[in-house]
Amino acid sequence: MKFRTIARISAIAALAGLAAPASAQQTITWWDFFVGGDGVRMKALIDEFNEEHPDVQIEATSLEWGTPFYTKIRTSSAVGQGPDVMSYHLSRIPLGLDEGVLTPITDADLEAAGLSGDDFFESAFEAAKGPDGTLYAVPFDVHSIVLYYNKSYLEGSRFLDDEGKLTGIESVADFEEAMQTAVDNGSETPLTYATGDDGGVFRVFYTLLSQQGGTLIDDEGQILPGDSTEKAITAIETMTKWQSEGWQPEQALYEASVALFTSGRSAFHMNGVWEVPTMTDLAADGSLGFEWGAVEVPKLMETQTTWADSHAWAIPIQGEEEMDPEKREAVMQIIGWMEEHAIQWADAGHIPAYKPVAESDEFTSMEPNATYSSLAERATYEPRSEVAGVASPAYDAAVNIISPAIHGYMSPEEAVEQTKAELQRRMQ
Amino acid sequence: MAMIRNKSRHRLVAISLILPFVAIFALVFAYPVVEVVRMSFTDAPLIGDGDWVGLANYRRLLTDSLFYTSLVNNGYFVLLTVIPTTIIALMIALAVSRMSGRMQALALVLFFTPYVLPVSVVTQIWSWMLDFQFGVLQPVIEFFTGKPVPVFKNPFWVMPTVAVVTIWWTNGFNVLLFLAGLRNISEELYEAARLDGATRRQLFFQVTWPLLWPVTALVLTLQLILQLKIFDQIYLLSEGGPFNSSYVLLLMVYREAFQLNNGGYAAAISLVLFLLIVVISVLQFQILRIGGKNK
Repeated sequence: MKFRTIARISAIAALAGLAAPASAQQTITWWDFFVGGDGVRMKALIDEFNEEHPDVQIEATSLEWGTPFYTKIRTSSAVGQGPDVMSYHLSRIPLGLDEGVLTPITDADLEAAGLSGDDFFESAFEAAKGPDGTLYAVPFDVHSIVLYYNKSYLEGSRFLDDEGKLTGIESVADFEEAMQTAVDNGSETPLTYATGDDGGVFRVFYTLLSQQGGTLIDDEGQILPGDSTEKAITAIETMTKWQSEGWQPEQALYEASVALFTSGRSAFHMNGVWEVPTMTDLAADGSLGFEWGAVEVPKLMETQTTWADSHAWAIPIQGEEEMDPEKREAVMQIIGWMEEHAIQWADAGHIPAYKPVAESDEFTSMEPNATYSSLAERATYEPRSEVAGVASPAYDAAVNIISPAIHGYMSPEEAVEQTKAELQRRMQ
Repeated sequence: MAMIRNKSRHRLVAISLILPFVAIFALVFAYPVVEVVRMSFTDAPLIGDGDWVGLANYRRLLTDSLFYTSLVNNGYFVLLTVIPTTIIALMIALAVSRMSGRMQALALVLFFTPYVLPVSVVTQIWSWMLDFQFGVLQPVIEFFTGKPVPVFKNPFWVMPTVAVVTIWWTNGFNVLLFLAGLRNISEELYEAARLDGATRRQLFFQVTWPLLWPVTALVLTLQLILQLKIFDQIYLLSEGGPFNSSYVLLLMVYREAFQLNNGGYAAAISLVLFLLIVVISVLQFQILRIGGKNK
């Protein structure tokens, strides 16, 4: 009897405890994978939001990027212990749908956030949809790889224009000539990217493939259909040549590949826009030691395009439950606010996916972002497939098969065959 | 009467003593094992139920070339670690047992320290030391091979290097086991043998080795089980590459379950690995026991 009374009282107390703050204030659990330079900027945005909105408070946690993040989302949201809002890669949406963790973003949701579909770059907004056209995420940025360059190695050559900007690279041959010029001017390894890491290899490979109009995986799930196989071989052959000529570093991991450029040893660096703050900061305190620039990856093959992905906001399922509509509204309010303040995020090198910010004077005068922001319209997103996207089998294949191939452990033909077989196997 | 009461009371005490263990065992081991077996016959995702697919997962496993690659790599890794680590541990234990007092304690601490470290620290230390561009061990490798080697990116170097790291990490425990075994051998036996004019060689092979055999068999078996379960070091150092030359069964389980959401298939692979470990280790232990009896 006594036990039951105590239980009843504590249950009421617990309910009251839960209910009381809910009416006064919404606490939104937020998970993201931003650490490092990105993380600092995101934290500033969250703090600013919390200060401006006493009635909606974000409780943010940053988790480890990649498979660990997405596994945690998968397991926690299935039992209703996940976040209320989370960062998500658009390239990851196919697998997210397969796992059933994403809730559709309705028109009413968008309205609550004060947003509409036309506000976004089309390629990003399309990539945020499922195969049936339902929206599952709100794109926040477009991020891609860009070509960083060190002006000191190119001075006096035809590759710098009167204003000291990179010019005259319109084919692989031009680019190779530029690299040779840099070598002649004393650059040990003229081009650096993470040749021994999954991301670095995949992004360059995918860019070269897309520039030839090749498809990695088509909508029917065919891997490198038709002449895309040939194009993939060409892409790997190109990368292999850069390796065997000694133009790019052997087995460079991510940090080493960045260090080669920032220490002034490489003339070119292909890496994500997220390293822009590193360069800006180093240049600002005078420790960079050279003048740098960053441009959209030039048209090396037939078309001008680059690999791209987006960070986006998504709302996971809450186990068996539905999210309280008031809470959902608060979440959408946060998303809307973040989009409008994306200019602070652009400071981390990214291009805002939200056009009103991307087209604002503040952004178009922001350098070097404004120089390469043209890529947003022409970007090629990753294939809509569970085996592609961040930390996916496609990335594994890049480090496991393509990277060894460019280091001469197997021929480009063999590498493409193996990549095809590997992705096919993982698709089952 | 009193006896009967005592007996039932005795049983009650016994049950109440083992019940907590049985309950926990059932909850965290028996139940999950049954679930894994059931899951391996379904197409379940990582979380939630799937449809019954019979033996489809196993059939797929038998046609999966990566399964055979992983199996071979697991075997190769066992070859590279189990017997070498046992021999090294025995030699270290023999050397340490000759020391005395503080020196012995110091030597033991030195050999045991790596074992205390978590795997992430171990792999971090070694990947720094072996880093292709900046690693302190690269000059050593260069001395022998003529050029630096990106060890975790080279198909021939990757498994032996992971094996070296593993032996360095886990050897201290084996040394302890051997040392305990050595201390159990009575000094009188050596004295008697010496009186009969036994050489040092004979002392080792006729006295130490046979009497130490139970410990050796134990170390070999424990190592076999441990090394068949290789995952952490591979995941942290080479991620199964380059071109799957360090891909192992548990990595396959991890990728299928957590990266690709194929719970059923992952369950089938892990069950096969489990049976493999049980069969091999029971077999090995029996063979070692017979070997011991013949001595």
